[in-house]
Amino acid sequence: MLNASTSDTPLVKMVDIHKQFGGIHAVEGVSVDLYPGEVVGVLGHNGAGKSCLMRILSGAMSQTSGEILVNDSPATLNSPQDARSYGIETIYQTLALANHLDAPANLFMGRELKTRFGNLDEPRMLTEATEALRQLNPNFKNLRDPVSRLSGGQRQVIAIARAIYFQAKVLIMDEPTAALGPSETAMVSDLILRLKSEGIGIFLISHDMHDVFELCDRVMVMNKGKNVGAFRINDVNKDDILSLIIKGTLPEGWRPRGGDQ
Amino acid sequence: MSDDAQKSRLKFLPTGSSLHKLSALLTLALLIVVFSFTSSAFFSVNNGLTVLLQTSVIGLLAIGMTMVIITGGIDLSVGSVLALAGVVAGLLIKAGLPVFPAMVLGTFAGAICGFVNGLVVTKMRITPFVTTLGMMLVARGIALQLTGAAPISRLGEAFGTLGNGSFFRVVEMQANGFPKVVFPGIPYPAVLLLIMALLGAFLLKKRQIGRHIFSVGSSEEAARLSGVNVDRTKIWAYTASGGLAGLAGMVLMSRLVTVQPNEGVMYELDAIAASVIGGASLMGGVGSISGSMIGAFIIGVLRNGLNMAGTSAFIQMIIIGVVVIGAVYIDQIRNRN
Ligand SMILES: Nc1ncnc2c1ncn2[C@@H]1O[C@H](COP(=O)(O)OP(=O)(O)OP(=O)(O)O)[C@@H](O)[C@H]1O
Ligand SMILES: [Mg+2]
Repeated sequence: MLNASTSDTPLVKMVDIHKQFGGIHAVEGVSVDLYPGEVVGVLGHNGAGKSCLMRILSGAMSQTSGEILVNDSPATLNSPQDARSYGIETIYQTLALANHLDAPANLFMGRELKTRFGNLDEPRMLTEATEALRQLNPNFKNLRDPVSRLSGGQRQVIAIARAIYFQAKVLIMDEPTAALGPSETAMVSDLILRLKSEGIGIFLISHDMHDVFELCDRVMVMNKGKNVGAFRINDVNKDDILSLIIKGTLPEGWRPRGGDQ
Repeated sequence: MSDDAQKSRLKFLPTGSSLHKLSALLTLALLIVVFSFTSSAFFSVNNGLTVLLQTSVIGLLAIGMTMVIITGGIDLSVGSVLALAGVVAGLLIKAGLPVFPAMVLGTFAGAICGFVNGLVVTKMRITPFVTTLGMMLVARGIALQLTGAAPISRLGEAFGTLGNGSFFRVVEMQANGFPKVVFPGIPYPAVLLLIMALLGAFLLKKRQIGRHIFSVGSSEEAARLSGVNVDRTKIWAYTASGGLAGLAGMVLMSRLVTVQPNEGVMYELDAIAASVIGGASLMGGVGSISGSMIGAFIIGVLRNGLNMAGTSAFIQMIIIGVVVIGAVYIDQIRNRN
């Protein structure tokens, strides 16, 4: 894609990442990069290691070996705070919400807004949260309810709003629409396109082929922890990707399709 | 949409936590009414102030306990830390330090015990139950070792001020030359409790540290992923609990005008009971200082009322044990809904 090659420094580059849990290789030698204004799909079967790879980039998990470059210089991401200081925001697959707290408290968790005197600025957090959430779901009510009482979709909307509120440069979305209805999903697709046009780089983990083909510029397929193929979206079709996800190889006699979708 | 209709109807009813607080408050009122009948001396200004005085120690402990419980932890060491803090203050006074700085340092000693609890819980990853159980023995052991298990007495009149003094005390000289107490005054410990409770509630509700305490207790993983410094938050809560236990130690020892190294045994249970009765959840993420204060007064009134009605200490134990189990059971039913 043109906009993928206009800038030659990647926002982030992960090189030869390994992650082991005891004897299990969750991620094995995966390299991937991301340029401004680009959406890179990270695909793979359940347990392929997608979330692990992304959690390493979020600072939520440390890699066993491998290097991460942010704007071409090596970065150590020991904690989520580190990642955030590089402008890397994450929508976790598990959402990472505190169930007893309400939507504004969750949206600003760890980055609470404060008044001049250092007290929590509840009114401002409420208005900001209302605005942020309404952008994604215009009929979002019960903002003051503990999030445990909200629907799965509403909870997901809070997690998404939290990641975009703080003006990320790199956004990691781990199955962001898994719990959303059709209109909210469409809203998230629009959002992804808007963020992309603002020059934000996005890693999108999704099992929905329709979304992948609609939104991604490139895809990277993982199978049993390994990177089994990275392509521009125009060079592959749905069957190629399914084959990579399931078998880990391309169909026989495959050649780049050159945008014949 | 019957669901919506039900929701709007339910809005007029108090929500979960305030409902719990309301029922605790009703329980307290009920206890007061019942005890007024069982003992004529119960419902009087003097006895009210006695309850206030007795409850202030448990109340101070319950403030710190509530913070720790909200983080999803527990602090079993407060009774022993209270004793150790008293011993430290007593020994410092014996060494020639004036009362006020000695008490400050005693309280500080309590805070250090709490800080160590926090470090062990977060850095060594030992469960709060085991950590504070260990500290319970260590602090008690140090207190007994330092004093040879003997009380420290003759600490001077000033040492008794905090525990026995009061504001607005009105005493009238009678014709026969004996003083008559018109109004016994508001005891210093009660005022101290009020100040610490307001401060605790302010920190929990209005400050970032309080928000983090709730976040950590609600979901430690979510808090960590959201950039909350989980370890720092927990260490803060345990330190506060230790410091308040130290302060409670000053109040208690001052009231006795003697340092008793074996005071405060099982006080942690009263503090935990107060928090739980007040609506704090042992699973973390839920609790309030106001609730815990109501809880502390329920325990205080219960003990005092049973005493005045002539109930034996053993029966009191049984009753309070049943009350605590009942409170936790109610909490569970509430969470299931
Ligand atoms: N904390 C952990 N401890 C041990 N093993 C883990 C841990 N986290 C993940 N794994 C293992 O690593 C492998 C990859 O998991 P990961 O969550 O990255 O999969 P995924 O590709 O995101 O799958 P899904 O599509 O189901 O979300 C799995 O085999 C999983 O069991
Ligand atoms: Mg996953």
